[in-house]
Amino acid sequence: MSEQLPAPDFDAQNYARPNQNWVCGHACEGQPCRHGPDSKGRCRATAECKPVLETKPGETKGRWRCTRPGEPCESGPMPDGSCCRPISKCSPVPTLRVWRRRATLAVIAASFAVLLVLLGNPSWRNNFISPGEISSAHSGEAFAALAATNRLNQNCGACHVAGNSGPNGMVKAALSAEPGFFEFNKFLDAHAAAPTAIDGSCEQCHVAHNFHQPNAAAVSCAFCHAEHQGKLMAAATDADCVFCHGDTVKMAAASTAGSVVPVIHHFAEDHPQFRFITEKWRDPDTLKFNHALHLMGATIPNLPGGAKLDCAFCHQLDAAGAFMKPVAFENNCRVCHSLQFDPETPQLQLPHGSAEFVTAFLRSLPKQYADLAAKKNQPDANTYVQQKLVALRTQFGSGDDLERRIFFSTETFGPDTQVGTLSGSTRALFPGCELCHEVKSSEAGSPAITKPIMPERWLAQAKFNHAKHANISCGQCHDAVHSKDTADILLPAKETCATCHSPRGGVVDTCATCHTYHNAAVAAR
Amino acid sequence: MPAAPTILERPQRWDAAFDPDMTDAALDRLLATAPFRDMDAEKFPKRTPLREILRNDSRIRRFRQGEIIVRQGDYGTSAFLILRGATRVVLKPHLPPALLGRQSPGKKGFFRTLAQLWNGSRPAETFSRTRLRQAAGLGARQTKNEVHVFLQDLPRVMDEHRTEQMTGGDFFGEIAALSRMARTSTIFADSDDAELLEIRWQGLRDLMKYDDALRTHVNKIYRERALSSYLNATPMFQHLTKEQVDRVAEQIEFATYGDYDWSGEYKRLAQSGSVQPEKEPVIAQEGDYPNGVVLLRAGFARISQKLGGGERTLNYIGAGQLFGLREISHNWRNKDSPVNLQFSLRAIGYTHLLIVPTRVMEEIVLPSLPKNELPEAIEIVKDELGSQPVAEKGAREKVGAEILEFLTENRLFNATASMVIDLDRCTRCDDCVRACASTHDNNPRFLRHGPTSGSLMVANACLHCADPVCMIGCPTGAIHRESFAGQVVINPDTCIGCKACFNNCPYDAIRMVEIRDETGEFMVDQEMKPIAKATKCDLCVESHGGPACERACPHGALTRINLNNLDALSKWLKP
Amino acid sequence: MKRFRRQFFLGMLALIAATMAALWLHKRFCALPDYAFLTGWILFAVMLVLTFFNARKKLPFLALGKAETWLQIHIYLGFFTVVLFLIHLNFRAPHGWFEITLAWLFALVSASGVVGLFFSRTLPRRLATRGGEAIFEKIPALRHALKTGAENLALGKEAKSPVIAEFYTRQLAPFFEGPKNFWLHTFESRRPVSALLAELDDLRRFTNEAERATLDKLAALVRQKDGLDYHRALQLTLKLWLFVHIPLTYGLLVFTVLHIVLVFGFSGGVQ
Repeated sequence: MSEQLPAPDFDAQNYARPNQNWVCGHACEGQPCRHGPDSKGRCRATAECKPVLETKPGETKGRWRCTRPGEPCESGPMPDGSCCRPISKCSPVPTLRVWRRRATLAVIAASFAVLLVLLGNPSWRNNFISPGEISSAHSGEAFAALAATNRLNQNCGACHVAGNSGPNGMVKAALSAEPGFFEFNKFLDAHAAAPTAIDGSCEQCHVAHNFHQPNAAAVSCAFCHAEHQGKLMAAATDADCVFCHGDTVKMAAASTAGSVVPVIHHFAEDHPQFRFITEKWRDPDTLKFNHALHLMGATIPNLPGGAKLDCAFCHQLDAAGAFMKPVAFENNCRVCHSLQFDPETPQLQLPHGSAEFVTAFLRSLPKQYADLAAKKNQPDANTYVQQKLVALRTQFGSGDDLERRIFFSTETFGPDTQVGTLSGSTRALFPGCELCHEVKSSEAGSPAITKPIMPERWLAQAKFNHAKHANISCGQCHDAVHSKDTADILLPAKETCATCHSPRGGVVDTCATCHTYHNAAVAAR
Repeated sequence: MPAAPTILERPQRWDAAFDPDMTDAALDRLLATAPFRDMDAEKFPKRTPLREILRNDSRIRRFRQGEIIVRQGDYGTSAFLILRGATRVVLKPHLPPALLGRQSPGKKGFFRTLAQLWNGSRPAETFSRTRLRQAAGLGARQTKNEVHVFLQDLPRVMDEHRTEQMTGGDFFGEIAALSRMARTSTIFADSDDAELLEIRWQGLRDLMKYDDALRTHVNKIYRERALSSYLNATPMFQHLTKEQVDRVAEQIEFATYGDYDWSGEYKRLAQSGSVQPEKEPVIAQEGDYPNGVVLLRAGFARISQKLGGGERTLNYIGAGQLFGLREISHNWRNKDSPVNLQFSLRAIGYTHLLIVPTRVMEEIVLPSLPKNELPEAIEIVKDELGSQPVAEKGAREKVGAEILEFLTENRLFNATASMVIDLDRCTRCDDCVRACASTHDNNPRFLRHGPTSGSLMVANACLHCADPVCMIGCPTGAIHRESFAGQVVINPDTCIGCKACFNNCPYDAIRMVEIRDETGEFMVDQEMKPIAKATKCDLCVESHGGPACERACPHGALTRINLNNLDALSKWLKP
Repeated sequence: MKRFRRQFFLGMLALIAATMAALWLHKRFCALPDYAFLTGWILFAVMLVLTFFNARKKLPFLALGKAETWLQIHIYLGFFTVVLFLIHLNFRAPHGWFEITLAWLFALVSASGVVGLFFSRTLPRRLATRGGEAIFEKIPALRHALKTGAENLALGKEAKSPVIAEFYTRQLAPFFEGPKNFWLHTFESRRPVSALLAELDDLRRFTNEAERATLDKLAALVRQKDGLDYHRALQLTLKLWLFVHIPLTYGLLVFTVLHIVLVFGFSGGVQ
C-alpha cells in the first residue's frame, strides 16, 4: 500500500516561489506558463516565442524564424512575424497570503468604519464609549431633577471636557491631558490625585472638599470614589487611606513639628494603641462609683424585681442602638440610692440636682411635713409636724447637724430599713450626698456639689455600634469587675478589638469600619 | 505506480572519448613527441594500449596569449602537457577573484541590505542590463565549442604579479587531477600559439600504471609538493621525527578509486534505482589481510560489513579519516592471534587515498604512538554461527541505521551545509523560502522539497559539498569557492548558462533560471533565445548573520548542517 | 527532542517567575493613582513587541536574531500578556461596550494564538507520520495530475471496461474533482477512503484479470488522492488559524489606540 504522495514534478528551470503573491491561473492544471503573472496579478502571457526576422544576404524580405525554447513549432511564425501559438490568457490566482493580507486590511478598515460611525453619532457615542454604568446616585430621575437645579446635564459632558465633542475634540483633549501621554514620571509618582476639572462638577452639588484633617492635601473625589462601576459607587477602600497613611514620607510631611503621625497599614498590625491608654487618660468625673462593688459586692441588694444588678440595668442602648444612653440618677441610681433622709417618713425625699434646693428643702422642713400631712389628710396636722420634727431632732440633734449630716455623711450604716429585697442594718437609707458626690462646704449658703461630668465618647474619631456587638458580653471588652475607681476608663485596648477585627479574627477591619474621612457635616447642598 | 525499470547499461570506459575528433595524424604526432616517444608501448596491456589511451583520454587544446588554462581554486579532472608555445604560472599572491571571473568576497553594505525592504515586488530573476554589461576584468572568446576566457589588461597583471614561464614538455595540473584538490595556481597562455595536451585523469592514471618514468615523475612531484606537509598535519604521524616522516613519505602508496565525474552517472543510476554498495569499487575487502592503513585524502568511502547476502553500511569516512589502523595495531600487539580486516571499504563516487603499508606502520609509526592513542584490541566473539566481527560503533548509534543508510544512499555526507528539515516540527509555512527570496532580490534559491527519511528531509538546497563536482568544467570560473569560508557560489555576471554545473550536481541543487529585465520581460540573446543563469543557494554569503533560511525558521525545524561527520547531526537530532 | 524540552522548561520557568513578579509588583503598586496608565502602557508596549514578530518575518535579511528565538519570546510573552491584561483590568470584568469589545478582541487574539500554537506543535508530526510531502501551492496541480491519470485509466481510449467506467463516473469522478473531507482529515478519520477502497474491492468480483490490474492502479491513485487531501487539510489548518490571529491583531491595535486616546481624553486631568 503506497502512502507516498505523487512526487511533484518540479520545474528544473525554476523554483517554487511562495514569496510571490500571484500564481498563474494555469498552475492548478499543472501547466503554469513560463511568463507568470506580474506583481500586480496581471497575466503576462503573450505567445510561446518571439520570432526573429532573418535576412540572408541578397534577400529583401527575410524570413521569420521560430525561437521557441526547446524545439521550434511545426507551423512556424505567422507571416506578420507573430507567433502562431499564443498562450491563452489566464486570470492569476492570489495566494493564501494575499487573502490573509486582504482579511487584515478588511478588519482594519472595518474597525475604523465601526469606530467612525459609532463615535461620529453623538447619541451612540456616549453609550458606546462609557466604560461602565453610572452609579444610581448620579443617574436616574432623582439626579435629573437635582441636575436641573444645578445647571448640569446628564451627558458625558457634565463631567468630562471631551464628552461634548466628537473625535477631534477627544484627540485634542487627550493631547492636553495632565499627566500627558508619556509623562511616566508622573504615573510613577505616588501623589494622591489632585482635584481636577471633574471635581468642579462634583462640587456643583457636594460641599467642596471637606476633610477630616485640615492639613490634608487636596485630593480629587475620584481618588476614592470611582464612578462608572455600576449602580453603587465604589466605596473607598483601605488602599485609598493607606495611600497617604501608609506612606512614611507623606505622614512625616503632614505631621506638625514635634509630633509624629503614625504610619498605618492595617488595624491589627500598625494601628497605634488608643491614646487613652498610651497617654494614661483618667476619667475626670467627680462622681464616686465603684463598678467592682456594684457588680460583685455581696452587700449589693437585688433589684426590686428580684434580679441581680448587672451592666444593662444602668447602661442601656440609645434609640439608634449605637451608643449607651447616659446614666441618670433618676433611672439608674434612685432605685437603691433613695433620698429618704427621715427613716420614719418614706414619703419625704430630698430633691436631687441642686445643693441649694436641698438646703432650701431642709430649712423648710416644717412646711414639708405640713404639706405631707395635708396630702395624707392627717386630722391633726400640727401635732403630726411636731411629732416628726421631735423625732428628727432626737436622731440628728439640731437642724444644722441634720444638714451637715445630709451633705457630708458617708456613713452607710443606719437604722434597719427595707431596701429593695435586702433588709437589715447593713446599710443606711440615705448616707449623705458625699457618698457619691464631691461636696464642698462653703461659708455662706449651702455647700457646693461639683456637677458630675460624664463624657459621652472617649474615642471621638471612631464609630462604634453596641448593637452590633450584642453577641458578646460587656465584660469581654469592659473590664468593669476590676474597676474600683471612677477615674478608670473602662474601654478596651486596641488588641481587644483586634482579636476579632483582624484578618485572623475574621471580622471586617477596614479603616472605614471605625473612621470617617469627611467631617461629619457632609450633605448634599 | 511502480515505474517500469529503465534498463541502463553501465557506462563503459571509453564509451565517450574525451575528444571524439582526435585524428590519427594528431596521435602520430603525439607519439613522436616526448614523453610518449620514450614510453614502452609493449608494457601496456592489450585492452588499453598507449595509442588508445591517448586517443580517448586526451585532447589537444590551443590557447592564445592571455587565455586562462587553469584557475587557482578550481577543481579539474585533467592534467596538461605543454606541446608548443609557452604558458605562465602566477605565483603567490594569487590573482584577485574578480580577475578570475569570481564574485568579490564581502558582505552587503548597509544600503544594499536596506534596499531589500522595497525589492519585494520585483519580478522574479530580474537583472539590470548595466550590471550584466559590467566588465569584470576578463573577456571571453567563443571558439567552435568551447569558451576561452582571457585576462584583459595582461601587461598590468604581468606587472603586478610574480609569474613564471613554463615551456614545451612541462606537465602541470596532475596533482589536482589525481588527488581531487583545488588547483594551486592560475596558469594562462603566454604565447598566441600555445598548444597543450589535456589528459583526463583516467588516462593519466593508466599512463602512470604502465610507464615507470611517468609514475616516478608524478610520484616525485606528488611527494615533494603535497605529501610531506600533509603527513605533518596528520595526527597519526605527530610523534615522528622529520627523518621518519620522510621515510614514511617515501614508502607511502597512493591510489584513486571510482569515477572522477561520478555525479552525472550517479544521477542516472540513482534515478534507475540501482545504487548498491555491492557495485562500488572495493578498496579493502572484509576478511583480507590488512595491507596497510588507508588514509583518505579526498572523496568518501563506505565502511560496510557482510550481513546475510548483502552489505550493511556501518559508517562512511571522509577526507582525513583512517581505515584499518585497528586491525594492524591489534596484529602488531598480539602477534599470536592475528585478525583480518573486519570491514570492507568501498569508494563512493571518487576516492583518493594514501596507503601506509603494514610494514611501515609496524616499523615506524606504531612504535612511536603512546599506548593511549593505540586503538583497542579486537575481541573475537565466537558463537555457533562462527566468528562474528565486532560491529563498528559510532555512526549507527549516533543517528540510527535508517538515517545512516539514507544519507549514504543519497551521498549526503558530501554536505558541509545541507539543509535538513525536521518534518515533525516544520509547519510548512515557507518562511525559510520567503526569507531566502528576500535576501536574494526576491528570488528563492532552494526548493523546500527533497529526499526524505522518516521525519528528516534534506531539501534541494546546495549542500556546499566537501567535494563539489559542480565546479568541474565551469568554463568561466563563475562557480567557485568563496575564499573566506569556502561556500560554493556562482557569480551571475560571468555565468554563461552552459549548464555544466547544473548537469553535474547530483542533488538537484542548481537551477537554470531565465533572467528578466526590470519590466519582467525575459532577456534574450540575438537569437531571441532566453538567457539562462545557473543559480543556487549561496549560504547568504553576502548577508550578515548567516543563512537566512535557518534564522527565519520560527520552529527550529530547519538547520544547515555539516554531514561530513555525524556529530552535528546527532547533536541536532538528540542534543 | 531534548532541545525543545529544555526550551519549554526554561520558558515556563521564566513565565511563572515573570507572573509572580508581576503579581507582586501589582500588589505593591496598585494603589498608585495613575496605575492603570502605567500598566496600560506596559501592556501596549508588550503587544507591540508581539506584533513586531510579524514584522521580523518580513525583514529576514536584517540580522534581527533568529526567528526561533522570536517565536519563543512571542509565545511566552503572549502568555504573560494575558497576565498583564488581567492586571490592567484589575481582575475585574470590563463594563462599557467599547471596553467589552476591546477585551473580546484581546481574548480572541490570545485564544487564536494558543490554538495556533497547538496546531503548530501537533499537526506537523501528523503530516510527517502520514508521509509524503507536497508543497501547498502545488497541491492543485498534483490533484489535477491524479485526476487526469484516473480519468485515463477509467475512461481513456484504452479503457474498455464499462464496469469501471460506470463506477468511475458515479463514485470516483466526484472524489477526484476537488479537495474532499477537510473535517474528517483534520480529525484523523479514514472512513471515506476506506469506504471507497472497499467499494473498489467489491468491484473485483465483476471484473476480469486486466480490469483488476486497472482497479489496483485506481486504488493506488485513490490512496494518493486521499493523502493529498490529508496534506491539504492539515496544511490549510496550519495556515487558516493565522486568518484569525493576524487580522484581529491589527483590529485590536486600532481599538487599543483609540482606547488610549479615550482614557487620556476623558481622564480627570484634562483642562
